[in-house]
Amino acid sequence: MEKKWNKSTIAGWQFVLWPSLIIMLFSFYPMIQSLLLSFQSGKGTVYSFVGLKNYVRLFSDPMFRQAVSNTLLYLVIQVPIMLFLGLIIAYFLNMPGLRFKGFYRTAIFLPCVTSLVSYAVLFKSIFSVDGILNRMLMSIHLVSEPVGWLTDPLWARIVIILAITWRWTGYNMIFYLSAMQNIDPSVYEAASIDGASKTRQFFSITTPMLKPIILFTAIISTNGTLQLFDEVVNITNGGPGNSTMTISNYIYNLSFVYTPNFGYAATVSYAIVIMVAVLAFLQLKVGGEKD
Amino acid sequence: MKKWLSVLLLVSMTVTVLAACGSSNSAEKNESGTTKKKVIAWAWDPSFNGAALKIAEDLYKKENPDFELEVVEMAKTDLEQKLNTNLAADVKDGLPDIILVNDPNIQKYVNAYPNTFADFGDKIDYTQFSPYKVDALKVDGKMYGVPFDIGSTGMFYRSDYLEEAGFTDADLQNITWDRYIEIGKIVKEKTGKYMATINPNDEALTSILLQSGGSWYITPDNKGNFVNNPVMTETLRVYKAISDSGIAKPVTGWSEFVGSFNAGDVATVVSGVWQVSSIMDAKDQSGKWKVAPTPRLGIDGGVNASNEGGSSWFVLDGSANKDLAIDFLSKTVGSSSEFYERFLTENGGVGSFIPAFSSEAYGQTSEFFGGQAIYSDFTKWSTEVPGISLGMYTQEAKDALKNELPNILNGADLTQSLANIQKLFEQQVQ
Amino acid sequence: MSKLNKSVIHFFLIIASVISLFPFVWMLIGMTNTSSDIVKGKFSFGSSFSDNVSHLFGSTNLGQAFWNSALIAVVGTLLTLLLSSIAGYGFEIYRTKGKDRLFGILMLSMMMPFAAIMIPLFRMFSKFGILNTPVAVILPTITTAFMIFFFMQNTKSFPRELLQAGRVDGLGELRLFTKVYMPTMKPTYAAAAIITFMSNWNNFLWPLIALQSQDKKTLPLIVSSLASSYNPDYGMIMVSIVITTLPTVLIFFLLQKQFVQGMLGSVK
Repeated sequence: MEKKWNKSTIAGWQFVLWPSLIIMLFSFYPMIQSLLLSFQSGKGTVYSFVGLKNYVRLFSDPMFRQAVSNTLLYLVIQVPIMLFLGLIIAYFLNMPGLRFKGFYRTAIFLPCVTSLVSYAVLFKSIFSVDGILNRMLMSIHLVSEPVGWLTDPLWARIVIILAITWRWTGYNMIFYLSAMQNIDPSVYEAASIDGASKTRQFFSITTPMLKPIILFTAIISTNGTLQLFDEVVNITNGGPGNSTMTISNYIYNLSFVYTPNFGYAATVSYAIVIMVAVLAFLQLKVGGEKD
Repeated sequence: MKKWLSVLLLVSMTVTVLAACGSSNSAEKNESGTTKKKVIAWAWDPSFNGAALKIAEDLYKKENPDFELEVVEMAKTDLEQKLNTNLAADVKDGLPDIILVNDPNIQKYVNAYPNTFADFGDKIDYTQFSPYKVDALKVDGKMYGVPFDIGSTGMFYRSDYLEEAGFTDADLQNITWDRYIEIGKIVKEKTGKYMATINPNDEALTSILLQSGGSWYITPDNKGNFVNNPVMTETLRVYKAISDSGIAKPVTGWSEFVGSFNAGDVATVVSGVWQVSSIMDAKDQSGKWKVAPTPRLGIDGGVNASNEGGSSWFVLDGSANKDLAIDFLSKTVGSSSEFYERFLTENGGVGSFIPAFSSEAYGQTSEFFGGQAIYSDFTKWSTEVPGISLGMYTQEAKDALKNELPNILNGADLTQSLANIQKLFEQQVQ
Repeated sequence: MSKLNKSVIHFFLIIASVISLFPFVWMLIGMTNTSSDIVKGKFSFGSSFSDNVSHLFGSTNLGQAFWNSALIAVVGTLLTLLLSSIAGYGFEIYRTKGKDRLFGILMLSMMMPFAAIMIPLFRMFSKFGILNTPVAVILPTITTAFMIFFFMQNTKSFPRELLQAGRVDGLGELRLFTKVYMPTMKPTYAAAAIITFMSNWNNFLWPLIALQSQDKKTLPLIVSSLASSYNPDYGMIMVSIVITTLPTVLIFFLLQKQFVQGMLGSVK
């Protein structure tokens, strides 16, 4: 096989070279240092080499296990719902002849930029024991007692899932909408002439053509949810008990709340990296890179 | 052509920006090259802690007119993040001269980052400060900072609600928690108001209970203090009793907590003296509040006094202006009664400096609190607060407790729960 | 599309919009009320707007922070768009096994929680001597595997025939990128710009660590500082939050017409 170093090949490498180097410098160099740190343990700047002891500790660490189970729960339930919602909304907002599209688009995007601090306070207020939601539910007699949205482990997790979905659906909608611009409208026209319903068109035209972007959002959302931090810290602070705590939450605690053990925190971080990498690899394989 | 122009524009813009940043950076370096008597402090809450430093700066400038103070304000958790990152990276760059430290974090910082904080030694007369505050600053025989504000607790109560339920001020003095719960039930029955709020995610109440009994989540030698600890057992029994009694309104956050008393939903607030400013925000409630001593645990050693919060000022050992910072703090926060009087009058802050307790400012009566001289009450109670060692692992211990708290509130066997907490704690601190 | 279908779709979208807008509306209402009214749950407009505003500007240097945030966000976004798109283009159009492997490695970089690389990064920047400058804040964000990945995936639907046509016309490789690719991918650039701007504007953790002095602070830092107090003034906080939210909304408004089907014309 001859490798032809023609103008095209060289240009290709030139395009990717500088950005890759920048990422290497600002991400990989610190990541390697973090990896080295993951083999140390101690407090603050007083630490020593412990080999694989931190990694072993992960397996018998109840807080870590709780954090992983919570995080995976969010992943499995929340991501598919959010992506599906985002896709449908984008599909609707892409339909010609639908009025007020601009308004809907802006409204649904707004949660992404609404400040975390403010919507956390608001969510806490809505879901509080004598908050609006409970009052409404009781007045229509759906429940006879106020629901402990934030004081019961199960409901608290549901509130977190609702919060994340509320916040990030619009974000994914943007990706889908922009990708839909690449689909020639005449394809839809032809399908309509052939008698395909809108629903049929959604599943047979839109979804397949959007596959690369759907794969993108799936990987990005998986990554984001596995690293979930903001909502959990600001709305439930890991509680009640530690029932909503996530892995990133735990890393933060290990570094800045407890007596700092940066070595073990690095180890837990790498646990995330491994989990995301495995899932991303699987998604890429399933998502198919056939062309 | 247009594209090239925009790329060119972009590049030149970036270069200009970078150059500008670079030059402003070197300009700053030139400035600090000349010996300016300037000190930088990190603190949270500009209207309280920041304001206090400004008062101190004012006072210090009388003898040292070319002194300058810069306060960099940020949220408390942000400060802790920034400090830890800076210290962990072993970087001197960017560290201030003075920082505010929350008392439970003191031992953690001193032990995790050795040789980082200045020893105040004999620069301050520590006998002039509340003993329990001073205890917190002592690590391995060295004194690490200047005690600052105090969190002496009291039971703030709505005198109108309690009266309506048939209780006089005398009935509320020096009660036990069991009595508090009884009173609470009657208040709820007769006025429909909750007696207190409860937040199962927040350990403020258990902390207050423990300290009032002379105990803490961890022992002085940093071991878990959950088993074989009668104070801990009694604390959790009381906590559960409050939760079960129906007299406490469940809240899940700070704003909901403040909202409860601002809206008049609760009859009492057991908290530190600094809660005064939030309580006084509800201007229409003036004259309806009073303060009584904190309820006590009904066991040996339980007293009607405790503490919530409070911080101290530390100086960084490696800072260029270390001696200046130490002098500044010693002469103001460390020894000036005038400082404390102004801090109280201007910002409602209560310090732990004993000589100031007998000043006029500290003796003032408050119209909002029905004419009661609340500050002299709080400072009196502060002398009764048991001194404890906060240890290094307070946060880990609190989290271990938090983990088990839902089970305890649901009626799990207390002894078993305590054993679980102890085990969880030990795992966290390996 | 039948009228019934249309109404159903509208109904669904209206519910989605109300749920999405609700907190934002609450923020706007909160801006006009006093702190204690807000915590009590008041849901009507008050009269404290000007008080809150003057209080806010009197106690913080919001203007300076706004400028700091704007500088970082704009420069950062422009650089990211350029570098990420060119890399995404390179990885996708000039695809080789070697590049695939390189990209696979680069993807690892987005999987690491930032908190874990913060300390080594801080040490590095301290050595470079650029702490407490906008440069320090911008640099780690100018190329991310995330953005490269975004451009890559979108490039999959880019018609290669255009490039062939361009080559026939005698355009060099770089020219192909700037004259053929960039104009065609406007919706992708628009989406990327919105997302990147938003991320840079709201960036909190790294600016917190890298910036030291009061005058270099960005808006999110100021807001966080306000919200952490023994006695937070929620009215003032609401004003600061609304001010912080507006620029991203503005950018969205400006760029969103790129998402309208047919406006761009098709790729022909």
